[in-house]
Amino acid sequence: MRPLELVLLPGGVALGAVGVWMMLPGAPAGRRAPGILLAVAGAALVAAGLPGLGDPLTSALFFVLCGVTLLGAAGTLAFRSPVYAALSFGLSLLGTAGLLFLQGTQFLGVATVVVYAGAILVTFLFVLMLAEPRGRATYDRVGFGPGMAVLCGALLVATLIPTLASMGRKPEGLLRPPPPADARRQGVLASQHVKQLGNELFGRHLVAIQGAGVLLLAALVGAAVLVGQGRTRLPAPRAGQPAQSPGPNQPRPSQGTDIHG
Amino acid sequence: MFDIPFLLVLVPGVCLVATVVTAALGPHILGPRSHWPVVVALVIAAAASGVLVVQVHHQALAQWGEGRPADPAAGYEKIVTLWQWASIDDAHYAHQGDRFRIEVALRADPLTAVMLLTVTSVALLVAVYSIGYMAGDPGYWRFFTYVSLFVFSMTMLVSVSNFVLLYVFWEAVGLCSYLLIGFWYQKPAAAAAGKKAFLVNRVGDFGFALAVFLIWTTFGTLNFHDTVDAAGHIIGGVLGQSGLARPEFWYAPGWTLSAICLLLMLGACGKSAQLPLHVWLPDAMEGPTPVSALIHAATMVTAGVYLVARCAPLFVASRDVPPIVAGIGAATALVAAIIALTQTDLKRILAYSTISQLGYMFLGLGAGTLAGVSAGMFHLVTHAFFKGLLFLAAGSVMHAMGGVIDLERFGGLRQRLPITHWTFLIGCLALAGFPLLSGFFSKDEILSAVYERGLDGRDAQWYYVLFWMGLATAGMTAFYTFRAYFRAFWGPERIPPEAGHHAHESPPVMTRPLVALAVFSAGLGAVLWLSGALEQFLEATPSLVFLATHPAPWVYNVVEGHGVVPVAGTLVALAGIGLAWLLYVRQPQWLAQTVRVLHALGLYQFSKGKMFFDEAYQALVVAPLAAFARTCARWDHALIDGLVDAVGALPSTLGRALRPLQPGIVPFYALAMVLATLVLLGAMLW
Amino acid sequence: MADAEVALLVNYLVVGAALVALGAVGFVIRRNLILMFLCAEMMLQGVSLSLAAWGRYYNDFGGQILVLFIIAVAACEAAIALALVLVLFRRRGSLDVMAWQELREAELPPVVDREIPEMPAEPPPAWPSLPPAGRTPCVPREETEFRPHV
Repeated sequence: MRPLELVLLPGGVALGAVGVWMMLPGAPAGRRAPGILLAVAGAALVAAGLPGLGDPLTSALFFVLCGVTLLGAAGTLAFRSPVYAALSFGLSLLGTAGLLFLQGTQFLGVATVVVYAGAILVTFLFVLMLAEPRGRATYDRVGFGPGMAVLCGALLVATLIPTLASMGRKPEGLLRPPPPADARRQGVLASQHVKQLGNELFGRHLVAIQGAGVLLLAALVGAAVLVGQGRTRLPAPRAGQPAQSPGPNQPRPSQGTDIHG
Repeated sequence: MFDIPFLLVLVPGVCLVATVVTAALGPHILGPRSHWPVVVALVIAAAASGVLVVQVHHQALAQWGEGRPADPAAGYEKIVTLWQWASIDDAHYAHQGDRFRIEVALRADPLTAVMLLTVTSVALLVAVYSIGYMAGDPGYWRFFTYVSLFVFSMTMLVSVSNFVLLYVFWEAVGLCSYLLIGFWYQKPAAAAAGKKAFLVNRVGDFGFALAVFLIWTTFGTLNFHDTVDAAGHIIGGVLGQSGLARPEFWYAPGWTLSAICLLLMLGACGKSAQLPLHVWLPDAMEGPTPVSALIHAATMVTAGVYLVARCAPLFVASRDVPPIVAGIGAATALVAAIIALTQTDLKRILAYSTISQLGYMFLGLGAGTLAGVSAGMFHLVTHAFFKGLLFLAAGSVMHAMGGVIDLERFGGLRQRLPITHWTFLIGCLALAGFPLLSGFFSKDEILSAVYERGLDGRDAQWYYVLFWMGLATAGMTAFYTFRAYFRAFWGPERIPPEAGHHAHESPPVMTRPLVALAVFSAGLGAVLWLSGALEQFLEATPSLVFLATHPAPWVYNVVEGHGVVPVAGTLVALAGIGLAWLLYVRQPQWLAQTVRVLHALGLYQFSKGKMFFDEAYQALVVAPLAAFARTCARWDHALIDGLVDAVGALPSTLGRALRPLQPGIVPFYALAMVLATLVLLGAMLW
Repeated sequence: MADAEVALLVNYLVVGAALVALGAVGFVIRRNLILMFLCAEMMLQGVSLSLAAWGRYYNDFGGQILVLFIIAVAACEAAIALALVLVLFRRRGSLDVMAWQELREAELPPVVDREIPEMPAEPPPAWPSLPPAGRTPCVPREETEFRPHV
């Protein structure tokens, strides 16, 4: 089992990294499609190298959701158009929510969808307002240091995976033994786990909840202040003359221009 | 009330007070009246010195009565200890077993008293003269400050009873000389001359310092006088009564004593401008003429003579050194006289004459007998007066001629400057050794002492040769002195254009000191010689008493005078005066022929060029040192500065290398963070 | 049974790590400010997954609670980040992060993009047109020419 892992896991990571690199927005068009295939292949190899989940239904659900999540994430990296990238991030979020459901943390899954979807909607609005939707802007078509970044990401994963794999193979010494299953059924996996979660949250972590509330208020106020500054009052337009556009609102850059100084 | 300790402290003390007062009040308050504190102080000092001489004489007489004393314990000295300067308890020396101690102690004995009186009286006359000479100079107060500082240093030099303190004031007079030579410091020649004087003196002072070290290791003490330690034991001073009574040390073989004496002589050569360190004195004429009179004729340059006279027992005991001292003296006298024959600058002639006469003094001291030592001191006293007179008279001429002192540019000043003329004439006669004037007596005393040594005894032939050298030098002295006199005061009257309306006799404030000095120059020698007072007085000095009671066994000491020496001296002096009169007054065309002959032989240029001593020193000493200094400077600049600059450039180089880490690009920073996380992760997991 | 739990844990941790890695890569690569923010959110998602997995394995609610707090903080972060993006866009008129290089070292030159070939401009869309019905409404000129702030 061991030597197979040794080949599969690093090989899969490498393949996936190459695939991601080929998918990046700076690459020429002919390279992007094969990149997807390579990335998928790499992910599959890694999956093969990891211990199986036992139950085939769980396995299938897990792999599908996992695929959705990772494909969505890759899409955020790869799409030139910021609209498509934001949408694919939303897809990835849905995948994550699904995975959380699968874990048995349904409340979290719902919370993720509700909160993040709201946040992503707002972000989507911003994208529509400010960004060049078709991805014609230079900065959407070029990446910064793609090779180096992908390499670092691959190394990041590659440092973790062998540890995780050996944890899977021989958990003694690395992990504490898990509590017995019935304890779990009473605790985290209980049918009314929201109630227990609520007890825990507002019992032991009450002060933290209050702190989080204050933090949210502060963020709200701060965002309002930040945006509120710098709005110049426009002079009333005189008859016969076009209104003067305020300085900061410059026209959007045309395609292919250089960066402003 | 006027007891000896009080007088001993008064003489230098009042000069110190005058220095401070003039320096503090001179610039703004006193201004053109800055001379008053100094003149008053010098009057007090001179009077006190005179009283001191009388008192010491009385005390010495009271101690042994008339007649020659039988042992050195009868010499008179009085020590006044002011305070203890330094004391190192751990210093042990095998001979004495006592700690190292330096006390500020002044001594009163006949040698000191004579020196004090000479110094203060000449200084007083020069100070009065300077009132007229330096009038109107912007640095008037500075001049008098330096002069009184000098007198303080010189009086302390001759009063202290300790080699270390002697060295201190030795340097102090050198400093004052530097300050006064370079008095008009804006003139580059004056500044350079001051530096030259200081540096050449430094060579001599190096020898002196080594001698002091050797004295400490040999004798275990640096005091002249005997001291008593805490346990009541007497520690014999180097020149004290009990110190001198150690028979086992004297006349013993060994090189230590000779080394000490030769090093002391080196110091004396530097300060008294003997061969080969004489080169600074002619250049020192850049200073004001009163300075030349006071320091470079009468007082500072005699410090070397005083030193050798003080340490006379050491010199005599070292056997081989006195002939060397005499040889140096005679050679210097001859060389300086030859050079003076062709010079045209009147002050330079007088400077070389000073060098020559100092050589005479060392010739006398080098005879190694009591007669020689007292002859040297006698010549010191008379020379102070007539050389001071000559310099001041030259200053009077220079004052009248508007600053010109070159004999080729003026002449025939007899009628115009009568007082200057007559006093200058008296000084010239004294210098030339004309019978019955002071120089005659003192010079003949020296030549007699040398002649005695040349008759029989150790090194007799050497002294015989030196006698003839001395005699020849006396003739040349007479010749060049009167050459200068005739050129300046006889012949057709020529006034240079710089004189303007100055060309008249000097004011009384300048001429009266001239007259006073002329009186002393004329009469002092006769008075002292005929009464024999000086020699008897000096004999009471403990170290010189020793010379009388313990003469060196190989010296054939004849105490009666010799008739042949004064006669020879007189003949030679008259011959010199006559030759000068012939060539410069009577038959000038013979002069031109003589000069042509000498020119053809190359002797004229040799003498005129000061025997090329300066050029030789420049090539042998100055140029290599300057090259060495330049090399060191280059080395310092390239290597040391380069090293320091490199160290200084290191941070900026490092910074420049690290600068690309901050490009201001956010994704770059994010990448750096990811890399760091990677490293951390790797470190934690593996 | 324990093996299944461990296997579940390991797989989830791998997915979480992959999300974090992808998020990091995306943050570095993308130059659009908004997309950079989205990639940061992606990293937070990966962390949430890992936390939930650990919580389930050890039967501890702490994992879920921390995820809830992460969500709250992420919301704050989103608010502030988007406000900043807006302000920055106002100043330069571009969402490019490379437009802001003033904090570089004084001697370094700014990084300027090389020219990339322009995408061909799309032809303006040809919409079918209807003849206008009714009167042309009177609209003040300012409204047509003056676009209010975004």
